[in-house]
Amino acid sequence: MRRFLAALWFAVSSSLQNFRRNLGVSIAGVCTMGLILVLVGTTVLATHLLTNVLHDQESRASKLKIYIQDGVSLANIANFQHQLQGDSRVLAVSFENKDQAYAEAQSKGTDIATAVNALGSNPLPASLNVDVKQLRYLVQLDQVARADPIVDPTQPTDYNSDVTPKIQTAITGIEIVGGVLSGMLLVISLVIIMNTIRTAVYARRTEIEIMKLVGATDWFVRWPFILEGVLGGVFAAVLSSAIVALAYKVAVGATTGDLFAIPFDGPFTAVLIAALFAGGSVVGAIGSYLGVRRFLAA
Amino acid sequence: MTVALAHRPALASDPALRPVISFHGVGKTYPSGTIALRDVDLAIYQRDFVFLVGASGAGKSTLVRLLIRDEQASSGRIFVDGQEVTRMTRRKLPKLRRKFGIVFQDYKLLPTLTVGQNVQFSLQVTRPGQRHMREKVEETLWIVGLEDKIGKFPDELSGGEQQRVAIARALVTRPRIFLADEPTGNLDPDTSWGIVQLLLQINHRGTTVLMATHNREVVDLVRRRVIAIDGGRVIRDEQEGQYLREGEATI
Repeated sequence: MRRFLAALWFAVSSSLQNFRRNLGVSIAGVCTMGLILVLVGTTVLATHLLTNVLHDQESRASKLKIYIQDGVSLANIANFQHQLQGDSRVLAVSFENKDQAYAEAQSKGTDIATAVNALGSNPLPASLNVDVKQLRYLVQLDQVARADPIVDPTQPTDYNSDVTPKIQTAITGIEIVGGVLSGMLLVISLVIIMNTIRTAVYARRTEIEIMKLVGATDWFVRWPFILEGVLGGVFAAVLSSAIVALAYKVAVGATTGDLFAIPFDGPFTAVLIAALFAGGSVVGAIGSYLGVRRFLAA
Repeated sequence: MTVALAHRPALASDPALRPVISFHGVGKTYPSGTIALRDVDLAIYQRDFVFLVGASGAGKSTLVRLLIRDEQASSGRIFVDGQEVTRMTRRKLPKLRRKFGIVFQDYKLLPTLTVGQNVQFSLQVTRPGQRHMREKVEETLWIVGLEDKIGKFPDELSGGEQQRVAIARALVTRPRIFLADEPTGNLDPDTSWGIVQLLLQINHRGTTVLMATHNREVVDLVRRRVIAIDGGRVIRDEQEGQYLREGEATI
């Protein structure tokens, strides 16, 4: 136990000493890794936010309005509503009567009163408002609705048939591009960090050589370098988290009230920062391990 | 060529005494095709003081590197303390290397550490957590005559003093065998003689010493066992030998 603690202390203290002694190379490594983590963090955050915005648009677009003919009994409407609720493609169905349709139209600022006065009655039909699970079910359920006799044949349904496939394509595209970009950045960062650390290790090859000659085990030699890599990764994560979080806050503040306002997602930001710390530490450790390996094998 | 191996009558008669180091038909060929050693046979015993002599490129350093398995032999077998180095797994190498204290021509001191820290480095690496580390460092520095330089940095010392620090670093772990690869190569004659006296003192305390050298004056003055290598072969192995055989102009 005493030996283990002494070895641990040696690894921790020498990694801190080495980080301080080679401050120039250490700072260069931290900045390189920090910059790459900023790019990875920004890409992940942007992908997440864009996907969220599109999912929101998708949920708004996943609504099918089925207009009911005037004079259909409530029992028939309830039967059809029940039938739709039993459909596995449907999330929810709500009934909107003519008065509710009138109130809805008024709330949207439509001058419906003039039309009612001119016609002598409310021309707006009652409807069943259907929330579908996925956009692709809209067309199928539209066909189901049109076949039912209680549905108004002159204007059977209403949904945004144009926007749905575009949103789907956009979501898939953004997820693929974001994923590939993040993956590429991580691989690039690993290569850059490995070479940065290799430069730092090269400067200390005499130390490694002496450690080997006096009989240090491979892991005894490796640990200070790995801890140094982790330390660099943590500093890079602090740097990148601060930059990404600050940029996010500025973007949220700048777009508040806009049509395409960027929402603040607290839990995701916390997870992203934790991921940057974990990523920085792991990449730093792997980079150091690979950087030292060559000198240990020699 | 038949080589007359040095006799150890007193020790050879004792069956309990095995060589500390033995080479059996050892050869080393580098990937480039260069042959560094050919069919080397030798045995070195506890308390031996051996000069390994030969021209540059003769194979002296290769022999030293094979001993600590910094290089792997291409053929033959090497034993240290009864263990076969040539078949040792990588995992066992640290234990092998702890049997040796090693110094080089270029000292290999860490410039950012003080003299005391350089010497203590060996103990920290091989015996972390050992008690009385500081006292051991001071005692070893006293042996090499540098007890008053403990807080100095290597660049504040002369070449001879730096080599003494390297010797102290190798000595502090109390190794069974002391390897010195051209330890006087960068030093003037007076300083070289001081270093050799220190190695003799270490040998006198019971440590086997193997010193690869070019230094003719030192070898001729000390008159200890001499193993001469030329073209990768052992061409001479004599007790109380000289750098050159009588009548030889060069090795």
